Amino acid sequence: MTLTPDKPKAKARKLSMKERYSALTRDLDWDPSYVPADEMFPYTTFEGIKIHDWSKWEDPFRLTVDAYTKYQAEKDRRLYAVLDGFAQSQGHLSLTDASYLNAMKLFLQGVSPLEYQAHRNFAYLSRHLNGPGPRFASLCQSLDEIRHAQTEIHTLSNYNKYYSGFHSYLHMHDRVWYLSVPKSFFDDALSAGPFEFLIAIGFSFEYLLTNLLFVPFMSGASFNGDLPTMTFGFSAQSDESRHMTLGLEAIKFLLEQDPDNVPIVQHWIDKWFWRGYRVTALVAQMLDYMLPRKVMSWKEAFELYFEQQMLGGLFQDLAYYGIKPPRDVGKAIQEKEHLSHQAYWILYQFSHAAAFTTSVPSDETLDWLEEQYPDTFPTYRALWDKEKKNVANGGRHFVRGLPQLCQVCQIPMGFTEADSPFTICQRSVVFEGERYNFCSDGCQNIFEHEPVKFRQAWLPVHQIYQGNCGGADLGDVMQWYGMQPGDGGEYLGSPDHQNWLRWHAQADHSELGED
Amino acid sequence: MTTDTGIDTGIDTGIDTGFNKVIERPEIRSIGAYDFPSRSAQELYGDDQLVHVWYDGNPWFVAAACFRAPKAMSFGDFWAALLVPYHEEDPDWLASWTPADFEWGLDDAPWTPDEGASLASLGVGHKSVIRMVKK
Amino acid sequence: MSVDAASRPVGVDIQESEQNRAVIEAIEATNADATVNHMPGMVRVTAPGRLVVSREAVEERLGREWETHEFQLAIISYFGHIKEWDDDEIVIAWDH
Ligand SMILES: [Fe+2]
Ligand SMILES: [Fe+2]
Ligand SMILES: [Zn+2]
Repeated sequence: MTLTPDKPKAKARKLSMKERYSALTRDLDWDPSYVPADEMFPYTTFEGIKIHDWSKWEDPFRLTVDAYTKYQAEKDRRLYAVLDGFAQSQGHLSLTDASYLNAMKLFLQGVSPLEYQAHRNFAYLSRHLNGPGPRFASLCQSLDEIRHAQTEIHTLSNYNKYYSGFHSYLHMHDRVWYLSVPKSFFDDALSAGPFEFLIAIGFSFEYLLTNLLFVPFMSGASFNGDLPTMTFGFSAQSDESRHMTLGLEAIKFLLEQDPDNVPIVQHWIDKWFWRGYRVTALVAQMLDYMLPRKVMSWKEAFELYFEQQMLGGLFQDLAYYGIKPPRDVGKAIQEKEHLSHQAYWILYQFSHAAAFTTSVPSDETLDWLEEQYPDTFPTYRALWDKEKKNVANGGRHFVRGLPQLCQVCQIPMGFTEADSPFTICQRSVVFEGERYNFCSDGCQNIFEHEPVKFRQAWLPVHQIYQGNCGGADLGDVMQWYGMQPGDGGEYLGSPDHQNWLRWHAQADHSELGED
Repeated sequence: MTTDTGIDTGIDTGIDTGFNKVIERPEIRSIGAYDFPSRSAQELYGDDQLVHVWYDGNPWFVAAACFRAPKAMSFGDFWAALLVPYHEEDPDWLASWTPADFEWGLDDAPWTPDEGASLASLGVGHKSVIRMVKK
Repeated sequence: MSVDAASRPVGVDIQESEQNRAVIEAIEATNADATVNHMPGMVRVTAPGRLVVSREAVEERLGREWETHEFQLAIISYFGHIKEWDDDEIVIAWDH
């Protein structure tokens, strides 16, 4: 007896993307009947945002679970192929210089833990937003963000085998002074309501500032022989386009739902632009000082990614809703000639208490900086000339004590006045009997809106003086930070520098033979 | 200033920057009672307080210094025990300098510190900013 | 002075790789006003007002089926607003 194969059925017509997406989101949603909706979604009213119709939320990606997992798996497959090749071929030796990795230490200590925090908060949104569309977009983003944290840690763990400063990034993230800058930024967002978080992270961080925050790291990696970082970076960034869209949809949705939302959203844009912009000080100095081979200056990056694309493009779009550019944007534009120089000068003189190293920029770099910043760099260069003399006399400029910190951004107060750009900007207000200090009008303004929140700031300097950081002297604090000898300080002569010279000397001998 | 695209980027952010401005508690939007103390309150430092010293006009120090000092400490002791050891790291600092070589300010007002008087009696409060400018 | 949505530039950054070359060529062919810039590791395509990625144009150059979801493997970043992303095309433009 022979089996007659079934006649193949006519291929069912595939649903279109739109149909599949709406089946997944709208059709799987239901109205609660056992509990009132505000009990099911208790967190979407207290911020004062008014939503009338959640179904108006658009998600242009129209992603479904099958498509999501298929492409995410492919992204990971491509990344791990690169990582394996790099590890097998001793790829770390083809970096431009071991000092390049200071940028990656900062990334792993400062940024990767934020990816994990983003994962947590988007998981929360995927439960607590009322609309099925934004819930599903948040779920995808939550999964993306944990993928970012994992792939970044995995990629950079390769360097931990050979270089200092990578070993205790999580422990450090919660404790070390300069890492309190990104940490407190994100904690501020995590402790806000869901809508403020969407504007803070979804819109301001992922859309407004993402190109300034991430693309410079990735392009820097590409220019400095760091193929794995470039690959994880671009792999993560490919998710960012969805995150940017979520942020942009969020803001348009809030603005369209009710005119009363406009002033609330405007204040969040003002606040989160400035919060995020202050964090980019770390990126600015990385671009101008930490990359042995330069990609572009901070000023160029700021003009391209922020002034042209955001002020010239996005804010014209948002003007339709009555939204103005962030209130302190003029200060950021004025600072583009100064920010990186001030930020690196901070890190340079406190790097004895850091898990990365610094050094006087090479003459080549100093000349390049002068070309990029002809109006301002000569003044900063005079400081480096003074430090060169100091080093020649056996010194090294490490500050013998602790700096004044800004209550809001937590950065040592090295920023200056707009109308007197070489004078430190000092601001302060008194709230309920206590004085608080700020680096800028932007930070002061943020404090004035939320003094009860920001007076709880865990300022590293104040905590050290309270005895909460391991002890009274620098050695105790370094131990409490989890620092090991060689993690910080001067690059020249550091273990990373010495190893690098040794490895390359060995490589050279083998090529040159007896000579 | 206006960009090519017509966006006004003026720097006047319209904030009152009076250094001793007292602000009121604004309305708080939260899911429950929200009132937590300062993590930097003076009481956390016993008889001491935090004091900032801003060496204005000297960019060698990228930011003002923050010291923990007894309220009862005399200005002369503060100068010798805290201020000088911090600032003498600057190669241009001269060991012969005394407070008289500087002009002084406190919380944005001119100030004449008496070396024998205590910080508290001189008006230095918790997280005050002492400003020094080389004459 | 403000510039209207039809002429304000929009753009997309794409990873520079063998696989993405057909995508970049297709975008250039579909958008007559597009400008292509090479930057470290990536290619930036910009156009005034509107940028379209067409499935057909990509498939022609790739010589195989390509679904628009696949663009997620190529894109690094964009500026503008994703107005449309369906089975046939992706459109980036400003709204207002
Ligand atoms: Fe991420
Ligand atoms: Fe993201
Ligand atoms: Zn600040």
